[in-house]
Amino acid sequence: MIQLEQVKKIFPQTTVPAVDEITFSINKGNICVFVGPSGCGKTTILRMINRLVEPTSGNIYIDGENILHVNSDELRRRIGYVIQQVGLLPHRTIEQNVGLVPRLLKWPEARIKARVMELLEVVGLDPSETAWKYPYQLSGGQMQRVGVARALAADPPIMLMDEPFGAVDPIVRGRLQDEFLRLQQEVKKTICFVTHDINEALKMGDYIVVMNKGKLVQKGTPMELLSEPANDFVKDLIGDDRGVKLLDLTRAESLMMVPESYPVARDCPCFIDAIQPVKMALEVMMKNDSDVVGVRRGDKVIGTLSWTEIKKHIHRISGD
Amino acid sequence: MNFEFERFVIAMFDRAPPYILEHMQLVLIPLAIATAIAFPVGVLLTRARYRRYSGRVMGIFNTGQTIPPLAVIAVFFPFLGLGYRPAVIALTLYALLPIARNTLAGLAGVPLEVKDAARGMGMTEWQTFRQIEIPLSLPVVMSGIKTSAVLTAGTAALAALVGGKGMGAVIFAGINFFRMELILAGTIYIGLIALFLDRVLSFIEARMTPSYMK
Repeated sequence: MIQLEQVKKIFPQTTVPAVDEITFSINKGNICVFVGPSGCGKTTILRMINRLVEPTSGNIYIDGENILHVNSDELRRRIGYVIQQVGLLPHRTIEQNVGLVPRLLKWPEARIKARVMELLEVVGLDPSETAWKYPYQLSGGQMQRVGVARALAADPPIMLMDEPFGAVDPIVRGRLQDEFLRLQQEVKKTICFVTHDINEALKMGDYIVVMNKGKLVQKGTPMELLSEPANDFVKDLIGDDRGVKLLDLTRAESLMMVPESYPVARDCPCFIDAIQPVKMALEVMMKNDSDVVGVRRGDKVIGTLSWTEIKKHIHRISGD
Repeated sequence: MNFEFERFVIAMFDRAPPYILEHMQLVLIPLAIATAIAFPVGVLLTRARYRRYSGRVMGIFNTGQTIPPLAVIAVFFPFLGLGYRPAVIALTLYALLPIARNTLAGLAGVPLEVKDAARGMGMTEWQTFRQIEIPLSLPVVMSGIKTSAVLTAGTAALAALVGGKGMGAVIFAGINFFRMELILAGTIYIGLIALFLDRVLSFIEARMTPSYMK
């Protein structure tokens, strides 16, 4: 668990704090996304967690231990770090890049080799083909993958990711995001993720922290942010399609009507899975030219979801 | 001026060759001393603590470069007298700038994100310097040393004026005795020495350059 307590950072020769008395905590195994416009202090927060930036005041704890009392180099070897520009060492092979932290930790050479090969496989690169290449021989997407593999190398419980998929085109970005979420299901890291893209934040975050001008504006789950934005800043950040975005996060089962009130469920022309988002229900309705879909859990039909219910829901949450 | 081919052949193959090693020494010793001074200075001036002095120090080096080597020799003459030592000192001062400048440029050219990632991974400041900054800036530093070497090869001819020997002795003898053959032979050898140093240092530079920079 990561805890920040009244953390403040004023850079030299400035008066306005870059980060202003921020307090929050991130639970083990969660992805916490910091989102906000550039200059809002999100990257500074990230860099304070691995002490690339030292806070002016306040305290940061990792698993109850004050990180300001730990040697900063040793601290960083326990924290994975991924940045937008990747920052692979251009004069070292991919194998050496990924093996960087294990080598710093003086793992035996055989174990490093095995770990590197395993990780390249995990991030979707062919180890036998990639390991001996140099960074300049890879595509942008491949470099990002190597960046993630390098951060995972020593199996750190915590990962800091600063716009890790920001430098690749939207198609590759989407794929990398999906793959990373799948990977996270297995590795269960505690992740701090920085982005300026609210859609990425909603997609990746278990928890989102909205920042503006060094201040914490709102924190909550993607659902909470969408249904109860704290102010106009958050509303603007989310955009005008708040209702539709919410439907992407709402499971079909949460809006469905139970069979008693809708005895015709079995007669529905089309079906979706209970845990699928309402957005999918809309898609299925449009395809089948129907105002209603049946909701199934496994093989069992458990309810129906109608266009009227969805409309009512959107009205309820947008409230205006 | 007189020119006789026979005398030229004698100058080329008999008179001048003994001065080749002397001249090489006059280039390589100042070059080694200059590198030993300019490289650490360049490194210090790129560290966070001393970065603010880099403008001023480079200013001093730049000024040094504008003083003619003859004048430098004249300035040191009252303290060091004539001979080999003042020549070496003057040439050293002259060789400093290109090396210092390229050390600064080379280190400043190491991509920020690479240093940031390295520190973020937990490399110490020394490890980052040794394993990343040095190898990535070395080609640029080497090209500074090469520039200095070629520059010094030419300037070293003046060492003969203060009794510092070298190929300059052949040229000045030619001037004093109106013998074009000697002047030409000395000049050709200095050119060859400069060319040779350039080739050798280029080879080393190429060997040090990581494949991605080629």
